[in-house]
Amino acid sequence: MKFEIQLTGAGGTRKHAVELERKGDVCSVAVDGEAIDADAVQIAPNAISVMLGGQSFEIHISRSMDGTLNLQCGPHEFSAEIIDPRAWRGRKHGAVEVEGRQDILAPMPGKVVRLLAAVGDAVELGQGLLVVEAMKMQNEIRSPKSGKLERLLVKEGQNVNAGEVLAWVE
Amino acid sequence: MFKKILIANRGEIAVRILRACRELGIQTVSVYSEVDRTSLHVRLADEAYLIGPAASRESYLRIDKLMNVAKKSGCDALHPGYGFLAENAALPRACSDAGITFIGPSAEAMEAMGSKTAGKQLARRANVPTVPGTSEPIENPEEAQALAQNMGYPVLLKAIAGGGGKGMRVVPNDAAFASAWRDAGSEALNAFGDQRVFLEKYLVGPRHIEIQILADAHGRCVSLGERECSVQRRHQKVVEEAPSPVVTPELRRKMGDAAVRLGRAGGYVNAGTVEFLVDADLNYYFLEVNTRLQVEHPVTEQVTGLDLVKLQIAIAADHRLPFAWETITPRGHAMEVRLYAEDPDNNFFPSPGKIISCHVPTGPGIRLDEGVYEGWTVPMDYDPLLSKLIAWGNSREETIARLRRALDEYTITGIRTNVSLFRRILAEAEFLRGEIHTKWLDEMLARPHPPAAPPRQGTEEAALIAAALWHSAQSGATSAGSAESQATASRWKMEGRRQQMDHMP
Repeated sequence: MKFEIQLTGAGGTRKHAVELERKGDVCSVAVDGEAIDADAVQIAPNAISVMLGGQSFEIHISRSMDGTLNLQCGPHEFSAEIIDPRAWRGRKHGAVEVEGRQDILAPMPGKVVRLLAAVGDAVELGQGLLVVEAMKMQNEIRSPKSGKLERLLVKEGQNVNAGEVLAWVE
Repeated sequence: MFKKILIANRGEIAVRILRACRELGIQTVSVYSEVDRTSLHVRLADEAYLIGPAASRESYLRIDKLMNVAKKSGCDALHPGYGFLAENAALPRACSDAGITFIGPSAEAMEAMGSKTAGKQLARRANVPTVPGTSEPIENPEEAQALAQNMGYPVLLKAIAGGGGKGMRVVPNDAAFASAWRDAGSEALNAFGDQRVFLEKYLVGPRHIEIQILADAHGRCVSLGERECSVQRRHQKVVEEAPSPVVTPELRRKMGDAAVRLGRAGGYVNAGTVEFLVDADLNYYFLEVNTRLQVEHPVTEQVTGLDLVKLQIAIAADHRLPFAWETITPRGHAMEVRLYAEDPDNNFFPSPGKIISCHVPTGPGIRLDEGVYEGWTVPMDYDPLLSKLIAWGNSREETIARLRRALDEYTITGIRTNVSLFRRILAEAEFLRGEIHTKWLDEMLARPHPPAAPPRQGTEEAALIAAALWHSAQSGATSAGSAESQATASRWKMEGRRQQMDHMP
């Protein structure tokens, strides 16, 4: 199976092609077209041990809110976006600006303490829409695009869960 | 000794106290708010009772509810931990009204030593050096300015009701005095409803060094040596160690004697901490007294071999302190880091949420005082302190190396933690030389990040392979089977092979 993976680390973002073939106990791997002597074993639901020619690595994986994977390898951290071959069709490639109606999600559980814009307001990319308080800290939720605040789904004082839709920006 | 103790707290400190009780054979009762039903301090307790909704003022701060639980469950003592009601004199009063022993100082000692002004007055009476300044709030700005000129700039204006840096202004010179006076007063009025301020000499680059004292009800008061807590982010301690890299045996004795004098003068009983500021010439000035157990108490425990929580319980049970010496010499070195659910790469924003996986460090010289577990959701309603990681060794160097090693083993996914902040601090040359002061970390954070050491060869490839494998296992996409089937060969097959091997000549 072939995957296209966009990997972001301290050194920047790059796209890689990873081929994974498993025949019985043998796993063959190629990264960017180059075959690699690798052995990978899932040691826990969210941890994978990888051996590369005798070098041992342990990678802890979790999925972040936006669907990308967070990979921790000791002190180093990467985020990976996987482009599944089956999902290639219909995928927007190279879309830099977000388009269409955007759901504004709560990034953490908390309480809406202040609304900074009203329904119908024109908003700029990066403009604060509302403030969510969590753990005694106030966090501004910003608009992902320029457009119009179409709907607000929360009120001041309301508790929200992580991932809950707070507003729509059209 | 007590039969059953109510632990009026939550998180890692409630767990710490529970463990001490269990070792002493004392039954434990926890209390919890609606969002803490699955917290570790509830899981580990012998009994646990719901005391209200998430908001602290409706649960952990309700003395009436705590007293109800204590009476209903038949507790004979209460431990307040730190934070919440630990320094509120109403709690020991309520306990004594209910016939329950409060594990801590008396309400009177708490009031006589706990507030900044009362503590300072007591320190002057006990001949403990204080930062030059006024012990009473000053009402008149002209009078204050004359005092400042006399004392020499820089000076500090500090709200009498202050805390957390609010209502505090550093005045660098005479020209800035009038506006700083105005700002400090109005900020204090807004934050605390009390605009009175007092004036102090401002120390440049002071260290925060504190002395742990223990006093029993039979007149013995001893010092357990110092803790260095100079690494602070916005007045919050982040890394603590014992002994301090700058304290000499002579200074330790002098500061310990001063702290003991203060404890005696205030009629103090139980564990307490006397905080000092220490300047570049190793002059020490009394700052304040914390009339409770401190977050950073484990570093003292590691270098003295004592269990402070058990000693607190013994003192409350009217036992005599079981040692004959008046001061103690630290052995080896210990250091603690406070792990918070916050994102150091994003302005230290809090990061509550579900802990997907948690792999904790172990091995020589490592202690983890934790309040969390894998699968638990960190609530958004309380302080984001998750756990405290403590390392100790023969020297400061060995301790730092162990702490670094333990931080590399520590993996928490699902939430963000400040682990990377500690990696950075423990690599700073100034920190390694012990050249730290209370503003050192804020200054370090204001500097541009040094580029992190690049990952070793192969790390990116390993990450890519792990991502691809995990993704395919998650979606069940690979026709060639999941990782687990590859990891565990059939035991029947292995047994068959082993038997065949046995039959070989």
